Amino acid sequence: MRGYLDTLKVIVVIAFRNLFASRLKTLIVGGIILFGSMLVVVGTALVDSVDASMSRSIIGSVTGHIQVYNAKSADELAVMGNFQMEGADLEQIDDFKTMREALLKVPNVKTVVPMGLSGAMVPAGNSVDVVLEKLRDLVRRQQAGEDVKAAIPSQKDHVRQIVAVLATDMANVGKVLNDKAVAPEERAAIARATAPDFWDEFDQDPLGTLEFLENRIAPLASDADMLFLRYVGTDPAAFAKSFDRMKIVDGTTIPPGRRGFLFSKWMYEGQVKLKTAHRLDVIHDAILKRDKAIATDPDLQRLVKQNATEVKEIMLQLDSQQTDAFRAKLQKELASQESDVSKLLAEFFRVDDGNIIRRYKFFYDELAPSLTLYRVRVGDTLTIKAFTKSGYVQSRNLRVYGTFTFEGLEDSHLAGNLNLMDMVSFRELYGFATPERDREIQAIKAAAGLKEIDRDHAEAELFGAQPSEPESPAAVATVDDADAVLRGLAGKHRRERREDQAYDPAQLEQGVVLNAAVIVRDPRRIPQTMRDIEAAGTRAGLTLKAIDWQKASGLVGQFVTMIRYVLYISVLIIFAVALVVINNALVMTTLERIAEIGTLRAVGAQRRFLLGMLLVEALAVGGLFGGIGSALGAGIVAVLRIVGIPAVNDIFYFFFSGPRLHPGLSVANLAIALAIVLVVSGASSIYPGLIAMRVSPRQAMQSDE
Amino acid sequence: MSSSRIGYLVLALLPLFALPKAAHAASKQEMVDLLKAVDDRQRNQGDWRSLIYMEQKEKGKVDVAYEALVFRRSQDQKFIILFTQPKASQGQGYLRIDKNLWFYDPSVGKWERRTERERIGGTNSRRSDFDESRLAEEYDPEDNGEAKLGAYTAQVMTLKGKPNIDLAFPVIKLWVDKTTKNVLKRQEFALSGRLLRTSYYPKWKKAYSESKKMDVWYPEEMRFYDEVEKANSTLILIKSVDMKPLEANLFTKAWLESKSR
Repeated sequence: MRGYLDTLKVIVVIAFRNLFASRLKTLIVGGIILFGSMLVVVGTALVDSVDASMSRSIIGSVTGHIQVYNAKSADELAVMGNFQMEGADLEQIDDFKTMREALLKVPNVKTVVPMGLSGAMVPAGNSVDVVLEKLRDLVRRQQAGEDVKAAIPSQKDHVRQIVAVLATDMANVGKVLNDKAVAPEERAAIARATAPDFWDEFDQDPLGTLEFLENRIAPLASDADMLFLRYVGTDPAAFAKSFDRMKIVDGTTIPPGRRGFLFSKWMYEGQVKLKTAHRLDVIHDAILKRDKAIATDPDLQRLVKQNATEVKEIMLQLDSQQTDAFRAKLQKELASQESDVSKLLAEFFRVDDGNIIRRYKFFYDELAPSLTLYRVRVGDTLTIKAFTKSGYVQSRNLRVYGTFTFEGLEDSHLAGNLNLMDMVSFRELYGFATPERDREIQAIKAAAGLKEIDRDHAEAELFGAQPSEPESPAAVATVDDADAVLRGLAGKHRRERREDQAYDPAQLEQGVVLNAAVIVRDPRRIPQTMRDIEAAGTRAGLTLKAIDWQKASGLVGQFVTMIRYVLYISVLIIFAVALVVINNALVMTTLERIAEIGTLRAVGAQRRFLLGMLLVEALAVGGLFGGIGSALGAGIVAVLRIVGIPAVNDIFYFFFSGPRLHPGLSVANLAIALAIVLVVSGASSIYPGLIAMRVSPRQAMQSDE
Repeated sequence: MSSSRIGYLVLALLPLFALPKAAHAASKQEMVDLLKAVDDRQRNQGDWRSLIYMEQKEKGKVDVAYEALVFRRSQDQKFIILFTQPKASQGQGYLRIDKNLWFYDPSVGKWERRTERERIGGTNSRRSDFDESRLAEEYDPEDNGEAKLGAYTAQVMTLKGKPNIDLAFPVIKLWVDKTTKNVLKRQEFALSGRLLRTSYYPKWKKAYSESKKMDVWYPEEMRFYDEVEKANSTLILIKSVDMKPLEANLFTKAWLESKSR
């Protein structure tokens, strides 16, 4: 034993003597190892931290720990949508109750939340369509006997003001371009709508006047906008309980047993708010929260320009009284004598770094109270139109109960692009297949009695032979049967205010769902729980597929895996270079010391002694510089933990699960770095060791000659 | 070669260059006339009511089938489609007034502005497939010669949309039966030249119109094959036609609303 220790002592002495003898080589090799080990420590610490943060974002916002769906589905479930408008093509799970009961038998399953993901359009006409729709609704109510006398004149006045704005626009187009730039029928329509007796006709024939305004005047305003919504249908109460980061920002949650819709606050601000106001918010926040300046930021300059040129959006909202009020306020604020309100608004919105704060406050204090800031307000009815799973168009009116956000993810569009509705309304809009529906369609098809013709043979089958009597008159059937159907329609779809109807909350538990989120008791046992869930499904006669949160989140969840791969490849390259450099340095050192090695061999040094000597040299360099590198990496992580890495945009906001990432360091990060360094160092000494082992005492003597 | 000989040669060859040009101009006018004849055969210059069947097949989905009533008035080019089957779609409808195409859903009581590219009821049909033929008003034709289509001989022409008209398809290639002047086939293209849809009109019927005082022709069967999603196809059947005058106020929002209120 003592002999071994003495030998080791000699080896260590010789190795360190050699390292100090060739300091430059040692420093070059050490520098590479230092950088590599530092990268491993910082990189793995950051990736682990992002992984942990992102898992909090994804699990806490919508996926839960595990998502479960029908294994027979054509697509894989991607809760975050894989950047597609529609959800994945999933087979339905017929009875949520059966599934829930089966899943709750798995010991690690804590909660099961029913879900369905889909997307739809919210039809919205242009500003004039919206105002005329309100006027039409008032006329309908008046004709139905409701007392709306007080509301109609103000709405009429608003429409007259809109016509005046459009007439001014048309006159400006005529001046700037030429009169031919305006179509004669458009000019005639405006002339009629601005004629003094036009509004007298309204009282005599309100619906006829409205038809004229809707078909001839409204198309002149070209600011129509379509809102695309992605939404999750669920049990609102169970969702709020399971995803505790969710908080209501405006209004209330959807009451139990009520049809309703909750906007994500992020989408509500970005898509539903008056565009001018939203742009003003963005400019204001960029200056106040992110230290940007209009003078130096091209994006902010673009927003200012858009606000100054797109004032028509506001002009079309004002009736004559509001127009006068805006004129007076803006003239005072801008110290201007200009009487054209659209020009005053344009000047007002031409903000700079000096006046943005004051104008922002003025806008919200003085102007915004007269404007409809959100085209759908909390408490309003939202009409959602969707193409159902069966291909038919289905629309539903849903009451908007409020807006929500996920705490810490307020500015993230990845967490904010999903809205929420009750599961009963979701089922109606999704249009799940039912045997009754199938039978009805089959009956309609059978009555038509047409046969399918394959497209490849269509021309041959359809035009293969001339008709025998092409000119023969056909018997003309009447459409009396259809009239009967039409008569049957009257009152059939009497507008039930379905948005106000309650449903039995038990329906949430009992019907069809597309998928379900599972919250587990112990997240470390997710893989086993997934296997248990699928087995539980099989026992209950269900074909269930369980996927973890990372897979369920689709492309978003793959981000960390991708970053991890990039890190591993970088580390691999660095240490491959390190291995070659250390190996070359040791080979050169070995060749320079052939005589010395030969002499050692001559005095009885074994081959293992020489191999050990080079191994110790390599490990000493690796251990020393790897240790320093790891320590430096740990220092960097510690500083970043205190300072925090800012989320530069909303995507990083989601990945960091908030505005800053405060990375943590684990023993594993340091151990991995040191292990890699020592393995690479050890491996790089093997080849020089083999060279040294082949050196014989005779070679040493020959080299002396 | 002397200059006088060159002069004679030019004079002799001139008709060779000039004649095809004159022939081409005549051919263009012939195409316009043919297109007008195609339109005229289908116009009833009055009111029209028909009961139609629509069927949409899509890969991996269950078939969609509708029955609907189509109302139209030649005088001011107004148009309505009112769905009568299946139950879930009853009362839904499209109304065209001037350049506006509206969609109405009675379950929410809302009108929605749509464009000419709207896929009627989610099928691959457009409003113009059910309306009076106005090809000569909307398109400029170009002669593509004759071609055989099965047992038929067809005049083929390419139609390019006139400016400032909202059209479902800006370019159409048309096969017109030389004998009857009925449309047999259409290929409809996007402005980029991409083929979007191939349509066949294999069966034509005629009915006597009191307003026109002569027969009106209509395609009893229309088959549309989607050229983008190759597995998708649409089938339209005009089950019956009635050309008696319609109510004066039929083409209004109020009338369509009244059918389901």
